[in-house]
Amino acid sequence: MFSQFFGAYLLNEGKVTKEQLAKALDEKKNTRMRLGVLAINDGLMTAEQVEHVNLTQQTVDKLFGDLAVDLGYLKPEDVTALLAKQPSDYLLLGQTLVNTGVLSNSEFESAIKGYKSKYSISDDDISGDQSDKLASLVNEFYHFSTAENAKIYTNYITLLFKGLIRFIGDDFTPLEAYVIKKAAAPRIVSQRICGEYSAYTAIATGADEYSALAKRFAKEAYVNDAEFDDASVGEFLNVCNGLYAVNESNESGVELSLIPQQFTKNSSEDLTKDAFCIPVQFTFGEIEIIVSI
Amino acid sequence: MNLVDMSVLVCDDSMFARKSLCMFIATLGVKNIYEASDGAEAVEKYKANKPDIVFMDIVMPVITGIEALEQIIEFDPEAKVIMASSVGTQAHLKSAIKAGASDFLQKPISNDQVKQILENAAKGEL
Repeated sequence: MFSQFFGAYLLNEGKVTKEQLAKALDEKKNTRMRLGVLAINDGLMTAEQVEHVNLTQQTVDKLFGDLAVDLGYLKPEDVTALLAKQPSDYLLLGQTLVNTGVLSNSEFESAIKGYKSKYSISDDDISGDQSDKLASLVNEFYHFSTAENAKIYTNYITLLFKGLIRFIGDDFTPLEAYVIKKAAAPRIVSQRICGEYSAYTAIATGADEYSALAKRFAKEAYVNDAEFDDASVGEFLNVCNGLYAVNESNESGVELSLIPQQFTKNSSEDLTKDAFCIPVQFTFGEIEIIVSI
Repeated sequence: MNLVDMSVLVCDDSMFARKSLCMFIATLGVKNIYEASDGAEAVEKYKANKPDIVFMDIVMPVITGIEALEQIIEFDPEAKVIMASSVGTQAHLKSAIKAGASDFLQKPISNDQVKQILENAAKGEL
């Protein structure tokens, strides 16, 4: 999920456009990490040093790591450690943007520093147990701390984003949230959660995005049919809400139950309370997650 | 018993969950697959077909999966019923086991889990 919020950071800082980001998210799966980007991320080399090695490589037939050692920028053990590292997903996104010329090495260097500093992210956060850090990233990104039930919003959205990555795909960027009093979209699937507290949750999209979402969730079981789209997107929301209810039961002893989903077509749903509308930009289009607790 | 000779009842009010589970079970060679979209229909189809194994959702209209499970066990104490729910809380788990469920699965159910359960059932190890 660090990758999705890194994308959102780049977008909000005006370093990339929505189109450039969508293209990079699409191409990320074919990207191979390069040592220079890993060295910048670890603070072992500056962007200028990486550029110097890249330029020198054009005249000398040597690998980047060997040349960086020759030029005194890296030690042999640094190269071994960097090569052994499993690249994080957000670095693959950064590498793709560098490869396609959207970001230069120095723009990547300043973006990565800015992102880590804005959300107080360390390399240990990214490589270790991420649960707490992800929740704090979500909380800071959406400023939930100013809302009533901040912890519930944070936990719910963190889990829903994990659900999106697990069941739909990681090629999305979370966009800035806003408050709404009415949900309106060509397609809305909503589900109420009740018990020790109650919540309204929904996914609102255009018709094409709704089918794309249904197709991603159903995978090979997909049937091109409006009723099946409802069943698939409805089940996705139900599964995510179910996992949330199980988490609440296991971790906080809070018992919740789910009400059957409602489906609305080309209309709107009045909300009894203000809700957060969280747009999420996928490579196939934008969906909105609506939640009110 | 071979998987081909088994009969399976899949009960879920979600058309998506029902169809995708049935589709996967069919790929394993199982020929007799019955579907039900609520608890009452599940009881009716169990009595009519006596399947070797049942996959049952919990939250469903007409009667819940737990109520359907109780009625099936009352009819056939040897029934093998696997409860599958998106809300696998401790409370649901306890009531399912108390009512006689053979196992409990948290949705989404993986194909590997289903295959393992069917193979165990075929060997009489459920």
